[in-house]
Amino acid sequence: MKFREHSMTSDTQAIEVSHLVKQFGAFTAVNDISFSVAVGETFGFLGPNGAGKTTTIRMLTGISPPTSGMATIFGHDIVRDTVAARQSMGIVSETSNVYTDLTGWQNMMLAAQLYRVGRTERDRKATELLQRFELYERRGDRVHGYSKGMMRRLTIAMGLVNSPRLLFLDEPTSGLDVESNLIIRDMISDLIRGGVTVFLTTHNIEEANVLCDRVAIIDKGLIAAIDAPERLKKTIQSVQSIEVSFDRSSPTRLDELRQVPMVNHARKEGDKFKLFTEDPTEVIDGVMAYAHTHNTRVTSITTLGPSLEDVFVKLTGLQRSGGGVTAID
Amino acid sequence: MGFQDRLSRELVAAWAIAKKDVAIYYLRPGTIVGGVLFPLFMFLAFTAGKLGTAMALIPGLIGITTLFSASSIEPVSIPIERRTNTFDRLLSAPISLNALVLGESLSGLLYSVVIALVVFVAALLILATPIANILLIVVGILLSSLCFATMGTLFAAYPTESPGDIISMVNVVRFPLIFISGVFIPIATLPAVGQMIAYVSPLTYANDLIQGGYNGKMTFHPIVDVAMLIVFILIFQLIANYLYKRFSD
Ligand SMILES: Nc1ncnc2c1ncn2[C@@H]1O[C@H](COP(=O)(O)OP(=O)(O)OP(=O)(O)O)[C@@H](O)[C@H]1O
Ligand SMILES: [Mg+2]
Repeated sequence: MKFREHSMTSDTQAIEVSHLVKQFGAFTAVNDISFSVAVGETFGFLGPNGAGKTTTIRMLTGISPPTSGMATIFGHDIVRDTVAARQSMGIVSETSNVYTDLTGWQNMMLAAQLYRVGRTERDRKATELLQRFELYERRGDRVHGYSKGMMRRLTIAMGLVNSPRLLFLDEPTSGLDVESNLIIRDMISDLIRGGVTVFLTTHNIEEANVLCDRVAIIDKGLIAAIDAPERLKKTIQSVQSIEVSFDRSSPTRLDELRQVPMVNHARKEGDKFKLFTEDPTEVIDGVMAYAHTHNTRVTSITTLGPSLEDVFVKLTGLQRSGGGVTAID
Repeated sequence: MGFQDRLSRELVAAWAIAKKDVAIYYLRPGTIVGGVLFPLFMFLAFTAGKLGTAMALIPGLIGITTLFSASSIEPVSIPIERRTNTFDRLLSAPISLNALVLGESLSGLLYSVVIALVVFVAALLILATPIANILLIVVGILLSSLCFATMGTLFAAYPTESPGDIISMVNVVRFPLIFISGVFIPIATLPAVGQMIAYVSPLTYANDLIQGGYNGKMTFHPIVDVAMLIVFILIFQLIANYLYKRFSD
């Protein structure tokens, strides 16, 4: 049986989401989101912790029933036609959910059998993927002894064993070292070239930028914007910031700092000042010159990457109630 | 997708789920204590070491070992898999919940059959237990194992990550069943209420088949026992299916 047979309707849309809502009790984790992902597209979900990324994936993969709204995968309704919708997907969840008491090879076989990949095909595919992810030599070892990066790679290999047309990747690289990251990003690029549709969540702006055709910025269950990463990057760049503190305080300091060249916006946070800019280097020079002419000393100065919270606020004008700021790695 | 194709897909997946449980959970200390040692100690306590009584109690021992061993895998494995998130893998596979429930129960079934077989062979070799009808014993072991395994899977639907929670719930059912199902105390000697409860205990029918297989004395017709066990299996399967759906969030 071939997966191709199942896409009877909607051949251009891999995912169609319409007014999807998920509530846990009184709490709304995903709040009326709509979007679609074309076949072959790489779509990113960029958002801070608790934004609703995983909850959305759990609904799209049929693990968690939506409170309202609907979603189709290659034309199959995920609630009413769950099995057909799942046929051609691969799922890589945010935790490396592998069976640590089984070997790497046994894990691959189990994943393949759950998707009914035939014996010769699963041997071939498992060998190919384990080699690709540099796990083949360790295939006979129990996963217990694998490193975190190896478990992550195994999780991704398991998600690919049924040669999916649509791959869900929930924060594939978060918390991994550079080498594991490279292997994983290379692999994602290859899949994309091979025509696989990818739905990827991340809180890493750079990752979204490198891999995705389009990116949705999500926070508090709401989508703030969906756009090509280059265009979002402009917004994102404009909210880089410098955090600076001085040895003496002055009531006019905030207003004076607003006059420093290239500062778009400034605010006081405790004894520090936060200056938003698209050009941090220029602003650092400006602040140093300012300190010199105003006869004060800079006690600390730091460049902060764009925070997703700031991007979200910039895009929507909504201030987050919690006030917590998420730094971007 | 044709029905046959769908069925074979479901069975392949169910079997894969069962094999994984065999590899991971059969030899865990908790499983062995709850599924093997516990019914054995219970048996020794009842026989108090007397050989003559031991012979008469072998059918009962087989009955309670199937009850305990068949329902000792899923109440442990499923909460653990919720904790490690591997359960999501099974929940998101392209199979029906029925196949998932069946796959989980299969591992309990196999475990129970192996242990019942060990007891059966040991009794034959050591005590030279006479046998009236081996078919009844085999059918009794198979059906009761599937029945109690499905019961274990049903209880494991309760959304907790702690095996202890499920095991305590299962025990609330398992212990009373021993006393009202004619295993150690003949149903005829039970008070009226006890006799009524005995009719809704799957262990009553399982025990009747196994007793009949050993000594030919039966309370019901074998067809009734078999039919009742099948009804229990179907009811447990349906309820389990419903609960897994209900508790998905
Ligand atoms: N089963 C649940 N019950 C109650 N609340 C939940 C449940 N699952 C998620 N939530 C809440 O929904 C919100 C969104 O969670 P979600 O896991 O989707 O975030 P996320 O964007 O994936 O975040 P992260 O980057 O940390 O993975 C969070 O506030 C979370 O606490
Ligand atoms: Mg998440």
